[in-house]
Amino acid sequence: MKKHLIALLIITVFPSFLMGRVQKDAPKYQQAREKMVLSQIRLRGISDKKVLKAMSEVLRHSFVPEDLASQAYADHPLPIGEGQTISQPYIVALMTERLKLKGPESVLEIGTGSGYQAAVLANVVKEVYTIEIRKNLHTKANQTLHSLGYTNIKTRHADGYFGWPEAAPFDCIMITAAIDHIPPPLLKQLKDGGRLILPLGNPFSYQNLSLVIKQGEDYTVKQITGVLFVPMTGYALDHN
Amino acid sequence: MILTAVFLLSLSALSFEILLVRVFSISQWNHLSFMVISITLFGFAAGGTFLNIIDTYKKGWEKHLSSFENIHIFTILFTISTIISFIVLNRIPLDYFRLPLEPVQAFYLLTAYLLLALPFFFTGLVMSISYAFMPEKTGFVYFANMAGSASGAIIPVIFLPSIYEGNLIILSALIPLAVIFLKHPDHNQRRIITRRRYFRLICICIIITAGILIVKGGNSFVRVKPSPYKKLSQMLLFPNTRITEVTNSIRGRFENVESPHLRFAPGLSLKYEGLLPDQTATFKDGDNPLFLYQLTSQNDAQFSKFTLPYSGYLLVPHPKHILVIQHGGGSAIPCALASGSDSITIVEQQPQIAKRVQQHYKLPVINQNSRTFLARSDRRYDIIHIENWGTSLPGSAALTQDYFFTIESFTQYFEHLSNNGVFIVSRLLLLPPSDAIRLWATAYESLRSLEIKNPEKHIAVLRNWNSFTMIVSIPPFNDKTVLEDVSRNLNFDIVYLPGISKKNVNRFNVFDAPYHYNEINRLAEAYRLGTEKTYFGNYPMDVFPQTDNHPFPYRFLKWSRLKALYKMTGSRFYSLFMSGEIVVSAVLIEALGISILLLILPFFATLKETRKFYFSHMLYFLAVGSGFMFIELYFIKEYIFVFADPVISLTVVITGLLVFSAFGGYWSQRISAKNFPIAIAALIVILVCMFFIFNPMMHRVIQLNKFLRYPLSLLLLLPPGFLLGLPFPLGMRYILNLPAQRTYAWTINGCASVLASIASAQIALGIGISAIMIFAISAYFLAFIALCFKRI
Repeated sequence: MKKHLIALLIITVFPSFLMGRVQKDAPKYQQAREKMVLSQIRLRGISDKKVLKAMSEVLRHSFVPEDLASQAYADHPLPIGEGQTISQPYIVALMTERLKLKGPESVLEIGTGSGYQAAVLANVVKEVYTIEIRKNLHTKANQTLHSLGYTNIKTRHADGYFGWPEAAPFDCIMITAAIDHIPPPLLKQLKDGGRLILPLGNPFSYQNLSLVIKQGEDYTVKQITGVLFVPMTGYALDHN
Repeated sequence: MILTAVFLLSLSALSFEILLVRVFSISQWNHLSFMVISITLFGFAAGGTFLNIIDTYKKGWEKHLSSFENIHIFTILFTISTIISFIVLNRIPLDYFRLPLEPVQAFYLLTAYLLLALPFFFTGLVMSISYAFMPEKTGFVYFANMAGSASGAIIPVIFLPSIYEGNLIILSALIPLAVIFLKHPDHNQRRIITRRRYFRLICICIIITAGILIVKGGNSFVRVKPSPYKKLSQMLLFPNTRITEVTNSIRGRFENVESPHLRFAPGLSLKYEGLLPDQTATFKDGDNPLFLYQLTSQNDAQFSKFTLPYSGYLLVPHPKHILVIQHGGGSAIPCALASGSDSITIVEQQPQIAKRVQQHYKLPVINQNSRTFLARSDRRYDIIHIENWGTSLPGSAALTQDYFFTIESFTQYFEHLSNNGVFIVSRLLLLPPSDAIRLWATAYESLRSLEIKNPEKHIAVLRNWNSFTMIVSIPPFNDKTVLEDVSRNLNFDIVYLPGISKKNVNRFNVFDAPYHYNEINRLAEAYRLGTEKTYFGNYPMDVFPQTDNHPFPYRFLKWSRLKALYKMTGSRFYSLFMSGEIVVSAVLIEALGISILLLILPFFATLKETRKFYFSHMLYFLAVGSGFMFIELYFIKEYIFVFADPVISLTVVITGLLVFSAFGGYWSQRISAKNFPIAIAALIVILVCMFFIFNPMMHRVIQLNKFLRYPLSLLLLLPPGFLLGLPFPLGMRYILNLPAQRTYAWTINGCASVLASIASAQIALGIGISAIMIFAISAYFLAFIALCFKRI
């Protein structure tokens, strides 16, 4: 009897505990989301219907700290702790669109952060693999994604530089942190014809959003636009 | 007693100034150290202005303020303000990047500025009082001031290897307190004895507090941390990353870092599928890292065969002798090792880095300036590979005086190549194109100076997405297949190769247009037509090749095209805001404003009858103040060529000039009013001679070994240094009559010095280093004229 009660407790209370940690949807957020998709994304030239649908469905306010929920749909990035940020909605949409996703793809994301980008990708493709190097961010994003019911996202706490060899090859890879080179292990895990998108350049000034396309044995790198991924400052310095 | 106070305060103030430069170099960037000069001299000048205002309300102040009580009070205030201002600077959340965005940052900046100026204000106050109180002994005051300053310049050199910057600032701030413990023959009255005990008690409290700060304050109060935007700070954000060793010296703070996340391989082809070898890194002042690879066999260096610079090695399949000129980075050494050459020579000018490279790779490392090494070497190399990637902040190196990439240095490299030799240099790829154009033009001009026909046929440029490699070959590129094949196989793009067509560029690393190809070909065409000057004039950035007289290879700003450049770089204010030239210009405007305020204030505050300061007086002290600083900056900049290190140059010149000036000042006590103009004339003659002979002499001095180079460099400063010590004390003694005049002259001298020091940077950038000497000669000529027309 006791065992049954404990099992029941786990089945009912634990998920509700998790659910209680994320911001639920509300009419004000729905309106903000619709406005965001129209004014920040569609009017700036994003036209992929799957991407637009994902952007209007994913609850961005659930991925930002509670005290910043009111700014979740504003046209700028927001801090999420550990010196990291959740990207500006337009950049999330742009990076997703440039991968030219059809639906059945398997995508690897490096830098889970809040989990928002993974959620957007999960609304578009079959499966998403996402890696985060910072333990706290990984744990928090994992909880958020599970509580929001994303079952096609697999998360891992590891150094994304080495990718996810067991799940490779991937149709697409997305790196969501500024980096000054393209990690060779990730290129190795890309399918022929695969696309890798990343903010490439000096992490201390501005970077170029770049798209790497693998064609047979060759790679081409195309510069899309200048981006500024906020430098990671502060916290770990004090720890060191 | 007052002369002892002048000596000790000068010593401590100059030591604080140099240590502040170190603090700014670590916590911010080098070019912001110009702010330190401005702060220092502003504080000094403000001391004189303050006394001028006092003069209005209290006659005979010079006697009152020069009493031992007041000198003790000023000394104690100096020590307290030095310690507090440093700790505030270290703790205040000042972030220059956020200055245009957060108004509170302006408040932080102002607070830091004013607090840091305070110690110099108290020093300036004691100096001004001394000149006003002892008009007949101005030479001795000058001697104490200069000798103290010279000693202060040496303190960081001696103690930085064993004491951190913060601790040394606190310790050197305590030195002037010694004056309070000295016994004075006149001070035997009971009242004086009681007061001295009181002062000594305060001093002991300060010393105990300082001790607690050093012992307990450690990491939070005293330790200077690098800017969060620097590479070291960024690196430390990664897990399992730690600093394993710190070496400190006047040249910089060197920190060795271990991390599993160090992955440095600039120009690496995307075709490389393996893992990079494990690496460690050494950071200088939190930036400009040198990466050292764990290479257990030659096979571990194979990754470098997939890098852009290695393309040059393919032109010389079995190189016999390779010369690597190292300045940060670290990927050139694996390239040399992968080539299989048995004779690899590495030249590294930083002793700490040279030692580390030698221990790590067990290769011969020459710890010398590369120009000195080549000037003393007859050996010819099959490959000369220069590695220099620059700082992590674009624009911050605009003021950096560097002789790696001048026409003369390229000529020296090419002269040391064998008949089939190649020269390789790699840099970061900038947009809009700038660095690549300048380097191409420098190579072209240098080849032309060596009378090589069709220089453009000896140059090739390849790129990937963020770096480029320029290869200069002694034989012309008649057979282009090697470079075409390597570009095709490793997915690099050709930027310039004689005869390459447009359809074969911009293929793998695609920009909207082949910007770099277009511009370099346009320049090559301009050279063919002889219209290169028009090209350089019309191009929106300054890409003119640099010379030894104008060695600023990382400066690209054209003031006339500032608006266009702002738009080209994405209308981001911050990308221009940290540019060295813009910072210097901002500091110059700020210093000009403060100088005008300090010079005008006494005229409003003082009574009419005391305003006996004539235009000729003003002109004289303006000219003498600026002249001295022009000379100092001229020598500092010239000696960077000899020592290849701005800090060593600064230390040698400041110490040398100040010591010789001190003796000049001392000797000035013997010079009569009649001989005063002769002293100025002699100085002008010496400076004119220096203008003509100094630069050629430097090219000789650089060939000497360091045991001759240092003493000879110091000796060359003797004639101008000695004579520079005459005009100020003589002017104070023979031109001026009233104490208020002398304090005002002190203010003028301070203001002129600060303006001249900042202007020197602009003159060197705009016209060239030798032009600073012309300004100095003109200044002393003006002083001579002012002296001839003086009204006493």
